[in-house]
Amino acid sequence: MIRLLAWGAAGFASAGGLSVCVLAVRRLLLARSERRRKASESLLLPVALRFLDDEDGGVEHLSEEDAQALAPVLLRLGRNLRGVSRERIATFFERHRLVDQPIRQLASSRPWKRAAAAFSLGDMGSHSAIAALSKALDDADRDVRSAAARSLGLLGATDAVPRVVYAVVTRQIPRSVGGQALLAIGSAALPGLRELETATDAETRAFAVELVGLLGDASDDEHLLGRLRDTSAEVRAKAARALGRLGAEEGAAELIAALDDRIVFVRAAAAHALAAVGDPAAVPKLIRVARDDQFDAARAAAQAAARIDPVAVRDAAADTSAGIHLQEASDRLPVIG
Amino acid sequence: MLTVLQALALMALAYYALVNGVYLLFTAIAWRGITRHTRERAYSATAEAFSSPLTPPVSILLPAYNEEAGIVESVRSLLRLRYPELEIVVVNDGSTDGTIERLCEAFDLVPVRKALRDEIVTAPVRGAYASRRHPELSVVDKENGGKADSLNCGVNAARYPYVCAIDADAMLEEDALLHVAKPILDDPELVAATGGIVRIANGCTIEHGRVTAVGLPASKLGTFQVVEYFRAFLVGRVGWSRIGALLIISGAFGLFRRSLVEAVGGWATDTVGEDVELVVRLHRYLRDRDEDYRIEFVPDPVCWTEAPEDLVQLSRQRRRWQRGLVETLWRHRALCGNPRYGLLGLVAVPYFLIIELLGPVIQLVGYPFVIAAFALGAVSFPFLLAFLVMALLLGVLLSISALALEEFSFRRHSSNRDVARLLLFAVLENIGYRQLNDFWRLQALLDCARGHRQWGDMQRRGLGHAPREGVR
Repeated sequence: MIRLLAWGAAGFASAGGLSVCVLAVRRLLLARSERRRKASESLLLPVALRFLDDEDGGVEHLSEEDAQALAPVLLRLGRNLRGVSRERIATFFERHRLVDQPIRQLASSRPWKRAAAAFSLGDMGSHSAIAALSKALDDADRDVRSAAARSLGLLGATDAVPRVVYAVVTRQIPRSVGGQALLAIGSAALPGLRELETATDAETRAFAVELVGLLGDASDDEHLLGRLRDTSAEVRAKAARALGRLGAEEGAAELIAALDDRIVFVRAAAAHALAAVGDPAAVPKLIRVARDDQFDAARAAAQAAARIDPVAVRDAAADTSAGIHLQEASDRLPVIG
Repeated sequence: MLTVLQALALMALAYYALVNGVYLLFTAIAWRGITRHTRERAYSATAEAFSSPLTPPVSILLPAYNEEAGIVESVRSLLRLRYPELEIVVVNDGSTDGTIERLCEAFDLVPVRKALRDEIVTAPVRGAYASRRHPELSVVDKENGGKADSLNCGVNAARYPYVCAIDADAMLEEDALLHVAKPILDDPELVAATGGIVRIANGCTIEHGRVTAVGLPASKLGTFQVVEYFRAFLVGRVGWSRIGALLIISGAFGLFRRSLVEAVGGWATDTVGEDVELVVRLHRYLRDRDEDYRIEFVPDPVCWTEAPEDLVQLSRQRRRWQRGLVETLWRHRALCGNPRYGLLGLVAVPYFLIIELLGPVIQLVGYPFVIAAFALGAVSFPFLLAFLVMALLLGVLLSISALALEEFSFRRHSSNRDVARLLLFAVLENIGYRQLNDFWRLQALLDCARGHRQWGDMQRRGLGHAPREGVR
């Protein structure tokens, strides 16, 4: 037994000692590579910025090794760029054949490598990756599918819209990721989304309506007004919010009617939308809801009324039976300006 | 007699093997979890959630009792958070110092009437304030009812579907909320709550409510706690989260679905461990309804907090934590060993009962037994020596592993000198500090037996002052 304990102690001591050595060596190596990275970045950053500013800066004639060094700097800068600069980055990656490697990595056996590759392809901005990324939407790993959807969004891959929407509603990718991808595609995603407003599945309808509200225009008001009468409360609430975002003045009457919806969060959404639409005709009803309704709807109605007609809210709040929501909205008028 | 002592010695050995086997297992699980998480950061696109209109809004709840020293810096750090839509609700829990006055001066507060839900009963509210400078900031002033009561009041005041509970002495890094909300963005229907890592701010350089340089506390006690927090968060919580049985989300930084908090009745006001109790209650509530859910720990969002640096304050804190654990385990004893609750009932609750709760008793009672066994010749000196050396080295290895996890993943300490110091303290904490903790935890059990239920005051210096008081 003593021998066993002694062996155990020796083993733990060796493992501890080894860990400390590994930590020390790793720290030194990382510090060295960080110094090199910073030195190289300070040299490459001006080149990258000149390149993005439409001056070649010698980028065309870079050796393969230098191009490899410049790539991460461009990737990082390109993440927040759109338009010509982004196209220039895509050309750089295509010209130096730097897109091929991540496309090959999409077939790696390791999910994290596939996901990282799918993610970087979006930052590279090369449309040549769209086919591979669309295929990656069928990957077995959720992170890979998510990274592919995000990249397809950044690449503006309109053909991928139905597939991305399907991936969202079947929960193959998170709704936030799919939604963001469709928002990145922009108005080109609208035709596909409009078709889904009448899908049989309520969750799909709600998702489509929400995104139409974020991407759409006045021509969408009519469809959205129809969704205010949807059988699903979730869809009705999203439609109300969407109409508010689009500032659908001609929908005000329907939104006022939605303040009588039987579901409280639909009534609250209608009040929020009316605040955005700003129709003074809604104020009396909003004040009534603020006075009598359940908490969330009453709070939203009071805020909406205060935004549309501060004087009416101040007058209503002066009444002792006004209720706390109108009083709060009135008191906050100087705060919200 | 000798046989009895030998049997007891064997039992102690078996217990020791069990405890450390579990720790080793968790270290392995945590390594796997953190490695995976570190890789995922490369393609998580968390920063993009900042500009997304689909990111759900969050109400931050900040309970404050006599926090005049640090409340302004804490609120400033929250106002700087990168998050698309949030509100900050400070709940003044009947402070007797100048907490409200400091807030009014710093943020130009004006009195307003405020609508509060009546979902959870709380101590009476005296008034409310809104900031003219920051429309997203409001303050609710209520009579003293404790931290849990303040959080419940915050839930009643919250506008948004998620509530984030923060300690008044804590400071969040700018992206902390985005990181901790990431699992919710990915799976809003499944994720019920998430918690983030808490780190010790003592010794760090803090400017305008932001940690600008990570340092170590000047005191030995503070540095021990830095190593201890690595073990607790990077090993313990990552491990439990990976197996889906996370029982603790730190009261300093946790994000919860508001409707669920309301459904279970809010934070319990009759325990000093309201953070752990709420998480256990959420587990229980959801499992009783056979709902699919996840409660997750996210290791990279950082919440900085002030650690006690004197023995009296630290012992109070540790005794309070242990009392909270006792109260929670007792209240939810039906979970222990109950297969209906899966790994939670079969592994997590028994672990906390046998290792975290009874561990100090077994270990501290074990010392006199070992001495007696040695004195009576039941255990030989070479055996005793070999056992003690092995136990010490294993403890050191576990502490170093936690530090290595930090170094291989987040590397927040840039100074080599700091890391060398942490390594030294990872060794030293096994000689005295851990035993001291066991002693406090044993005292907490006695407190419980005596019916002691007070929180105890924590003397705050205020985080903005932490570096200036350093002596390094």
